[in-house]
Amino acid sequence: MNKQIKKIYFDPYLFFSLFLLSALGLFFLFSASNADVTIVSKQFIYVFAGFVIMILVSQPDPDIFRRNSGFLLIFSLLFLGLTYLFGPEINGAQRWVRIGPFSFQSSELLKLAVPIYLSNFLFNKKLPIQRNEIFISLLIIFFCFFIVFRQPDLGTALIIACSGLFVLFLSGLSWSFMGGSLALLILSSPFIWNILLQPFQRQRIATFFNPDSDPFGASWNIIQSKVAIGSGGFFGKGFREGSQTQLNFLPETETDFIFSVIGEEFGFLGVLLLLSIYLFILLRCFYLALNARDRFCRLVIGGLSLTFAANLIINLSMVVGLLPVVGMPLPFISKGGSSLISLFFAFGIIISMSTHKKFLPQ
Amino acid sequence: MIFEERQIEKNNFSSRAIILFVIIILGLFAVLIQVFTLQISGYNDYQLAALKNKNYTVPVQALRGEIFDRNGKVLIKNEPTFDLITQPNLIDDIDSFLDEIQPVIFLSESDKLQYKKLQKGKAFANKELVLKKDLSPTEIARFNVRSFNFQNAFIAKRYRRISDYPNIFSHVLGYTSKTEDAYKSVPEIPRSHWRDAELVYAHGLIKGRTGLEETYDNHLRGSYGERVYEINAMGKLVQSLSITKPLKGSDLHTNLDLEAQKSAAKFLGNRRGAVVAIDLDSGGINVLYSSPTYSINQLSNGMNEDDFQILINDPDKPFFNRALKGRYPPASTIKPAIGMYGVSKNIVNWDFEIKDPGFFTLPETGRVFRGWRKGGHGKVNMHKAFLVSSNTYFFSLAYQADIKELSSYLTSLGFGQKVCLDCFDEDKALVPTPEWKYSIMNAGWVKGDTVNLGVGQGYLLATPMQLANYASLLAKKGAFNEPAIVKQEKVKKPLKIWQDNKFNDSDWNKLHQALLGVIESDYGTARSIRDLKKFQVAGKSGTAELVSLDSKEAYQEVRNSELLRDHSIIIVFGPMPNPKYAVSVVIENGESGGAVAGPVAIEVLKSLVNE
Repeated sequence: MNKQIKKIYFDPYLFFSLFLLSALGLFFLFSASNADVTIVSKQFIYVFAGFVIMILVSQPDPDIFRRNSGFLLIFSLLFLGLTYLFGPEINGAQRWVRIGPFSFQSSELLKLAVPIYLSNFLFNKKLPIQRNEIFISLLIIFFCFFIVFRQPDLGTALIIACSGLFVLFLSGLSWSFMGGSLALLILSSPFIWNILLQPFQRQRIATFFNPDSDPFGASWNIIQSKVAIGSGGFFGKGFREGSQTQLNFLPETETDFIFSVIGEEFGFLGVLLLLSIYLFILLRCFYLALNARDRFCRLVIGGLSLTFAANLIINLSMVVGLLPVVGMPLPFISKGGSSLISLFFAFGIIISMSTHKKFLPQ
Repeated sequence: MIFEERQIEKNNFSSRAIILFVIIILGLFAVLIQVFTLQISGYNDYQLAALKNKNYTVPVQALRGEIFDRNGKVLIKNEPTFDLITQPNLIDDIDSFLDEIQPVIFLSESDKLQYKKLQKGKAFANKELVLKKDLSPTEIARFNVRSFNFQNAFIAKRYRRISDYPNIFSHVLGYTSKTEDAYKSVPEIPRSHWRDAELVYAHGLIKGRTGLEETYDNHLRGSYGERVYEINAMGKLVQSLSITKPLKGSDLHTNLDLEAQKSAAKFLGNRRGAVVAIDLDSGGINVLYSSPTYSINQLSNGMNEDDFQILINDPDKPFFNRALKGRYPPASTIKPAIGMYGVSKNIVNWDFEIKDPGFFTLPETGRVFRGWRKGGHGKVNMHKAFLVSSNTYFFSLAYQADIKELSSYLTSLGFGQKVCLDCFDEDKALVPTPEWKYSIMNAGWVKGDTVNLGVGQGYLLATPMQLANYASLLAKKGAFNEPAIVKQEKVKKPLKIWQDNKFNDSDWNKLHQALLGVIESDYGTARSIRDLKKFQVAGKSGTAELVSLDSKEAYQEVRNSELLRDHSIIIVFGPMPNPKYAVSVVIENGESGGAVAGPVAIEVLKSLVNE
């Protein structure tokens, strides 16, 4: 062990599937942005930086995350508070921190901090976990959810809540407690609808259930997205040939609706290929979680990969019309540095936790 | 112990992780099913929706057909004009562009204002905009030399509807004008796309409004082509995807005769009236002229409001087509019909003679109906009655007529109904019946009404078109063609036979002899026109009284007011003995039929037989 040469911690399956996904992402982005080289180059830099970060993050022993999880959470919250006070306003929301030409969405950090902190908090608790532990966990989750939600950024807030709840669930939350909370949630839904949701969020949900009510207004996006995907057919219209995309009928092609671009230009085959890559990554994460060295690592890998999965599925369902529109990028494909960097960060942690083995049992 | 607890924890974790991953896989599967529904099951619908989003179809105007006379001379053609078209999306600074182009083509301040108002919208959508219409040759030359300075403008050929004889064919050819309902002709193209139609005519989407332009609009119009543009979500034209060329309208070959129409115009001059001439072989209408006229070129290509008001307010009513809509008492020109009726109903025969004292007294009331000549014509048989136009003879004949029989007899000769196959807005005029009189005047039919009918006065009204049709029926002895302006190309229509078994061939010959005598004999009422031509002509003149008077002296007073003077009417056919053409002429307030309308009829006839 002391003779060991510096080893590079590395998971070839994840590395190559993420590499493939990112490469495809740049390729799709080129079409989605109407061949805007500036956008694609910038994204390329993000991807490159992402890989570097992922490799760097996966080198240290995962104990470092456990030990620093509290610090990470507090730092994330402070960072968020900072943007809230000083960040520029983009589309009516203060979500961004600008560093040179790059801007970073401050809430992204919480996606990592919350599951790691909760894993640390819960990993050594006796099963089943106790009521006050649940209470503290839920308090943290709700607090983080609420401040992001107030930005307002429903999409990220939901993902943060999911990430925390996944960890809570995986660490052994009792079924009866879950049943009770679900009932409570249903009972309080009118309150959520009327008090918590912003008017535009209510509008989105309303149009989701009745898309024909306003075809040129709120439901324009989802109608055009369906037309784009549907008109792609089995083989798609071809690279840069999608009329919905290239003639701007489809909104937000570079970000939230990039999946519709893929559907339009590469058809059902393209969708099948893309979903297979995602599925492969998820299965690999599942495998790594089951075989992780200890409870903390299991919880973190499970929490992070499920968060990634939730992010993916919410975006896909929204774009194909199964869920109301919430702002959420397609992981590894949509334009935008923050979510990409935080995803690579997350996968760096996953790789770190799955490759570092403990030689001595506790 | 510790190990056991860890194993429980691990199993617990595994089962929960499996649950969540299964949920996630189900989620992915749901997405895949939805994508399948959209892309495979719904493909046709969504593909159509995508096409509907991006394809923008605009109509492409077709050139209208041209109109020719019977000798192939063009009467209405498409004449090219040149417009300066710009592409506002390529112009950076509108003001400096206008300043630059100002010395090349003349622009008025209102031109500039109008242009500035429209250019923004057009630039946004990548559409073209006309800067100036109908460039002069100098402007074209100046622009062509400097065209390299104006990459954002070009000269395009547009057409105008032009006749070289704009004033003599006004009523028969008609004019075109801008139409707002062209979209109805191609229901596949949405109405809103029509404002982006690709134009061939400088005046936009046009259609026939009057005359042949209207009657044959479908034939002349051709069919619109379609150009499909690709547009983006903002409505900008991106590129042209395809074009279906328009189909040029068919030409119209008419029976009109340019020279004869010119004669009609020349000899009618600026008097109010109408001339109709018919080719007896085909029924083709060679001349259809109403005076006064207006310029169809001006009307088709934008007449200014003042000129238009002058035309509208002209007391001579130039827009009124007298040839088809003018209602005139046929006066003595009706006498052949009355004579034929008398013979066929055995009221008279050709030898029947009366003594004409110059007037007829209605036995029932003692009302006196006067002839045109004081003292009368002495002993008059039917032949002489035609020659000298004895009113007394026809008064007494009509006196014995049954009004219902007589009305239907006149109707069978084309009076009181539309006779032309393809005339624009023809009037039926009027054959009176007792029912008609009762419904209009709330008065019963009296014998005196029938007597008046005998000389074509009273309630009977006919159009010049009906008179010409009647003349052609007389000329062809009952076997005639329905009049039509446009050549009936396909099958030659069989002659229409007007049948009256009681009026046989020898009757026809006698009638022709009598009508020949009207012009060619020394006693004929229209003998004054005998020497105007080299061939022989048959006919009957008439002088339609507008006021009923007892004496010539009284009429002298009426004459002072021009609009109360008699209308001058004549029908002729010739050259005899095998007539080829029939002509009717009406000159409002022209007085004596033979002497005034006669020469016009003869000149038109001469043009037609090329003398």
